[in-house]
Amino acid sequence: MSRPILEVKNLSTSFFTDDGEVKAVRNVSFELFPGETLGIVGESGCGKSVTAMSILGLVQRPGKIVSGQIMFKDKDLTKVSAEELRQVRGRDIAMIFQDPLSSMNPVLRIGFQIDEAMKAHNKIQKDDIAPRGIELLKQVRVPDAERRIKDYPHQFSGGMRQRAMIAMGLSNRPEVLIADEPTTALDVTVQAQILELLRDLNQDMGMSIILITHNLGVVAGLCKRVVVMYAGEIVEEGPVEQIFENPQHPYTWSLLRSLPRVDSNRQERLRSIEGLPPDLIAPPPGCEFNPRCPFRIEKCFSEDPELEPIGNAQHVACWVTMTRAFAEMGAATITDTRPGAASGVRPPKDLLEVVADLRTLAEPEVLETLAQDPALLEKLSQEPAALERLNEDHPAVIEKVIENLSDD
Amino acid sequence: MTSATLTTPVTRPEPTGEPLLRVVDAVKHFHIGVGGWLKAVDGVNFEIMPGETLGLVGESGCGKSTLARLVTQLLPVTSGQVIFDGIDLTTLRGEKLRQQRKQLQMIFQDPYASLDPRMTIGDIIAEPLVNFGLLRGRHKDAKVQELLKVVGLNPYFNNRYPHEFSGGQRQRIGIARALALNPKLIVCDEPVSALDVSIQAQIINLLEDLQKEFNLTYLFIAHDLSVVRHISKRVMVMYLGKIVEVSPSEELYTSQEHPYTKALLSSIPVPDPRIESQRRLIELHGEIPSPMNPPSGCHFHTRCPIAQVPGICADEEPPLEEKAPGRFAACHFSEKVRTELTALPGGA
Repeated sequence: MSRPILEVKNLSTSFFTDDGEVKAVRNVSFELFPGETLGIVGESGCGKSVTAMSILGLVQRPGKIVSGQIMFKDKDLTKVSAEELRQVRGRDIAMIFQDPLSSMNPVLRIGFQIDEAMKAHNKIQKDDIAPRGIELLKQVRVPDAERRIKDYPHQFSGGMRQRAMIAMGLSNRPEVLIADEPTTALDVTVQAQILELLRDLNQDMGMSIILITHNLGVVAGLCKRVVVMYAGEIVEEGPVEQIFENPQHPYTWSLLRSLPRVDSNRQERLRSIEGLPPDLIAPPPGCEFNPRCPFRIEKCFSEDPELEPIGNAQHVACWVTMTRAFAEMGAATITDTRPGAASGVRPPKDLLEVVADLRTLAEPEVLETLAQDPALLEKLSQEPAALERLNEDHPAVIEKVIENLSDD
Repeated sequence: MTSATLTTPVTRPEPTGEPLLRVVDAVKHFHIGVGGWLKAVDGVNFEIMPGETLGLVGESGCGKSTLARLVTQLLPVTSGQVIFDGIDLTTLRGEKLRQQRKQLQMIFQDPYASLDPRMTIGDIIAEPLVNFGLLRGRHKDAKVQELLKVVGLNPYFNNRYPHEFSGGQRQRIGIARALALNPKLIVCDEPVSALDVSIQAQIINLLEDLQKEFNLTYLFIAHDLSVVRHISKRVMVMYLGKIVEVSPSEELYTSQEHPYTKALLSSIPVPDPRIESQRRLIELHGEIPSPMNPPSGCHFHTRCPIAQVPGICADEEPPLEEKAPGRFAACHFSEKVRTELTALPGGA
């Protein structure tokens, strides 16, 4: 295989907020080969957009690239000067965004904004700029381009605006196009048109595309290779057919099974993923997916799995993998998708979790539990933070603890 | 306390019998600017049987949310009738309408905008009970806790504020509020569109469980056909203020009677690369025309791949007719939809 055009190595990006360091992207590595379509999928907050922003140096304070390299043509984009990065941005790597309306200047004509992108870089000859603007609009199939190039953004519909934005992205003939949720704001019939356009750009012009989306269907239709992200990390990576047919990470597997499919038997109950994605300020120890994973084992609570090859160009970060879950835990027939349901492994409870459990109980029950467990009461009296949390729901508990202390 | 106290004992209704909701020739035109009329809903007829889920899909601007607001009478109709439980809601005013609304609740799309950030979730859920003066004091609090339990939230969360909850949890709060008055019909307007994929499934399953438990009837509105098809027994497809097709959802993917339905289905990406690689897109040219000035004849003829223009499609509006048992479509050339438009892959 040829050399990758873009290589992200061990990228970590954090946001330093008042509440603490939000580790939005942690140790992410992937490659993009020339002419390839790579999908990055994940739910909101998984770090997919921050990864893209990091590539182009668009992460703003309080965000910061903490470590890692972004290699583009033997240049590390995390090390180059702001001016050098500006030269790359839009000229070699272009990006299109989810919301075309807020990404455009409402008081400037569409044509001006497309031309502006070309004037910013000296890649296109001055005399060619105006005709190229019209040609680009035609290329992205905006009808009546000669007239519409003089329109303002509000005169364009949502789909047309997204086309105009793609035209802007293409204006300097970039080698890489990063599309961040390009069709999320659009209706399905318009989405189909835009995806068709991106497919043609890739096939006819050989443009490399990174498509960032939460829609697994869009990835299945457009991408050759896919990276699945969860809680700031890559959990699985590989060729699209393999990942969809034989997902190895329980998250990928669960995600594919939780989707209602238009072509499936509707009687079947959806297998939801219980719980919520973790807090990125204090992610759980071990594997990030362990609080929601039906197949977790003891090791998942203490050690974070690395992304490892499992043959056939597929990589997965999981101690169990679905092959084993099928063989040992009956994943094929599983109907209960609660955390630990298939493996029967419960997490070792820390004090805060015990407190969280206690908070769900009624006050008399809490007091009874404490009366039966002096060790817990002792621990609580030493942890003011935990006690404070319990106090929010059960003020009587504090009295009990104080009582206990004075007994000593 | 069990959830059975929320409603009278559940008996599954007969599939035949009186519909719970009947919408007859509903029309809603908005007056816009100088002399313009926006025909948001333009002559819509449908019925929902008790205990049924009727799905409504369409692209943005097709009038589906306006229709939801006509059903709940949050907007008055321009003409037509909304007959709920045998009573025409459009003839009611004031207190009489308010009393009927108890039976008719709504769940909204945006779980952030639909909850007052300055009220505790206990107060939010209890508000309908307070409005109608139904429960007070301890009984009210007990009911709120019971509702929280029913929607899968911790009953002791009632003193917290909406900002402490995630999108999916907020949607559960919205559902609890809708259940507070033991309604017969719940209009769900895009209830899962704003949620992440893994949370969507949780809420869809919850809505299905609640339907079984409390014998609810849903009008389920969404732009995502796969979600609508999953939850509904029948699916209604809307285009530019009109119903173009009604079909049992079992049959919808395998055969279509209206070219728009077929094109819509062909546009939906399926999370399976094998199916995707053989997918034949029926590409619709352009975008949905303005409802201020809809096309003549069949509203869809400007984008239809099989329209006869000039001809009957541009001149005559097709009525919504029964093309096959239980399947209705508004198209002059339904038989051509089957033969001339290429089939969808993977349909079994």
